[in-house]
Amino acid sequence: MPTATDPVIAVRGAGVRFSRGRRHRSLRDWVLRGEGGLRTDEFWALRDVNFDVRPGEAIGVVGRNGQGKSTLLKLIAGVMLPDAGAVDVATGVAPLIEITGGFVNDLTVRDNIALTAGLHGMSKQSIAERFDEMVAFAEMADFLDTPYKHLSSGMKVRVAFAVVSRLEEPIILVDEVLAVGDKAFKRKCYARMDELVAAGRTLFLVSHSEGDLRRFCTRGLYLRQGRLVADGPMPEVLAAYAEEDEGDK
Amino acid sequence: MTTQAEVVELAGPRGGPLPAGSRAEGPRPAGRVTALWRRRRAVRLLVGRDLKVRYASSALGYVWSVLEPLLMAAMYWFVFTQVFHRSAGEEPYIVFLLAGLLPWTWFNSGVTDTAKALHSEAKLVRSTNVPREIWVLRVVASKGVEFLLSLPVLFLFVLIYRAPVSWQVLLLVPATLLMAVLLLGIGLLLAPLVVLVRDLERIVRIVLRLGFYASPVVFAVPDVPAPWAGLFALNPLSGIFELCRAGFFPGHVHWAHVGLSALVSAVVLLVGWAVFARLERTVLKEI
Repeated sequence: MPTATDPVIAVRGAGVRFSRGRRHRSLRDWVLRGEGGLRTDEFWALRDVNFDVRPGEAIGVVGRNGQGKSTLLKLIAGVMLPDAGAVDVATGVAPLIEITGGFVNDLTVRDNIALTAGLHGMSKQSIAERFDEMVAFAEMADFLDTPYKHLSSGMKVRVAFAVVSRLEEPIILVDEVLAVGDKAFKRKCYARMDELVAAGRTLFLVSHSEGDLRRFCTRGLYLRQGRLVADGPMPEVLAAYAEEDEGDK
Repeated sequence: MTTQAEVVELAGPRGGPLPAGSRAEGPRPAGRVTALWRRRRAVRLLVGRDLKVRYASSALGYVWSVLEPLLMAAMYWFVFTQVFHRSAGEEPYIVFLLAGLLPWTWFNSGVTDTAKALHSEAKLVRSTNVPREIWVLRVVASKGVEFLLSLPVLFLFVLIYRAPVSWQVLLLVPATLLMAVLLLGIGLLLAPLVVLVRDLERIVRIVLRLGFYASPVVFAVPDVPAPWAGLFALNPLSGIFELCRAGFFPGHVHWAHVGLSALVSAVVLLVGWAVFARLERTVLKEI
């Protein structure tokens, strides 16, 4: 496929293998069963996935639970590495995956914002410039010096979304975070995502909400049992997904 | 290793400086070092965070970090000078003890914490794309800063006991560097293994307790009788502790021990890093 622009994401024959067995082995298991003990019980969460993403594309990933959607996002975010093939991401990524993960309970909201933004690669200067914007977005002005652990879970997500969605990375990954938060905040999140897409960022959205997918995404990827079974315009992919989903019932 | 070859191939033609988000640099040793250097600010931030949590959240912050080695020193001083008739170590013994106990405290807490560095920060490791070595490096660095901040206590006792101080006190600098290399190596080796085999954390704790007496903290290497002395010289901590004590006890340094210590530390770092790189993929799935 000859194109004018180079892809920002190139996924080539990517595969990730998981074992179905226990997550942690104790020393006894190692001694009794040896290293090969669990190898027999492996499965591919993703298998032979190929696609390119060009700058500015808005992509929605559909599929039922446990078919590899989140694993695919983690590969692109670089927090998981492929067992087969390659995932090449040419630019920085703002991952809205487990977004509250980086926050420290004992530190204040103010410290947490600076820390998380910095960890995701934002420069000190941009943090200073965007700090007020983030605080306003999260509606946290009154809680800046509150320890993070005293916030409600909704507030925690608000802070996290405010920070991560303001990273200056050209690729945004969103994994179901919009499911939490109240209506008013959801509306703000939608507006922010519209803004990002309009500004030419590349969006990667995992969602079970058809409305969200249609609203933001022009291209769809349909994953079934770890394989990419459809890749095309969003409405067509959604139709294919609905059809097969019906058929399975 | 077809995977690695493909990654390199894919990254190659696109050329230019590899941006932070690229997955291409993963397996190559040189790539790992440059990736780490590029994200050095993340290390600074995390170390700052650790120190902040440590010193800001408790009123006695600084006291806590020196209290344990101080109490230990007091206890060993009592046992080995009042109860037993001391035949090992040098005079003033309390300075001798502290110059060994402070770096031992760094080593001890460093190994304990680097071993669980990936496991205890699982949420962060799962959600942030930084070179994974950072989680180990950050522990070594913040414990190292605590060590440096505890040194004034040593100098306080040097003043009280009017111990002579020579230019060799500057050897504390290479001692600190060697210890950082050794700890980084041990940490890179243990952190992924602890995620995969949880019992290892307990084993580490037991080995550390034994390691205290297998290292020249309450005595010096020449105090060890002949057949065992060679074994103690192989312990990389021997050379490091001698460098720490050099400034106060003239003629204390045996350069052969220091050389061995540097060699062992470098080998541990290489082995540790290789194991870390190899297990990274599995650890990210299991964490």
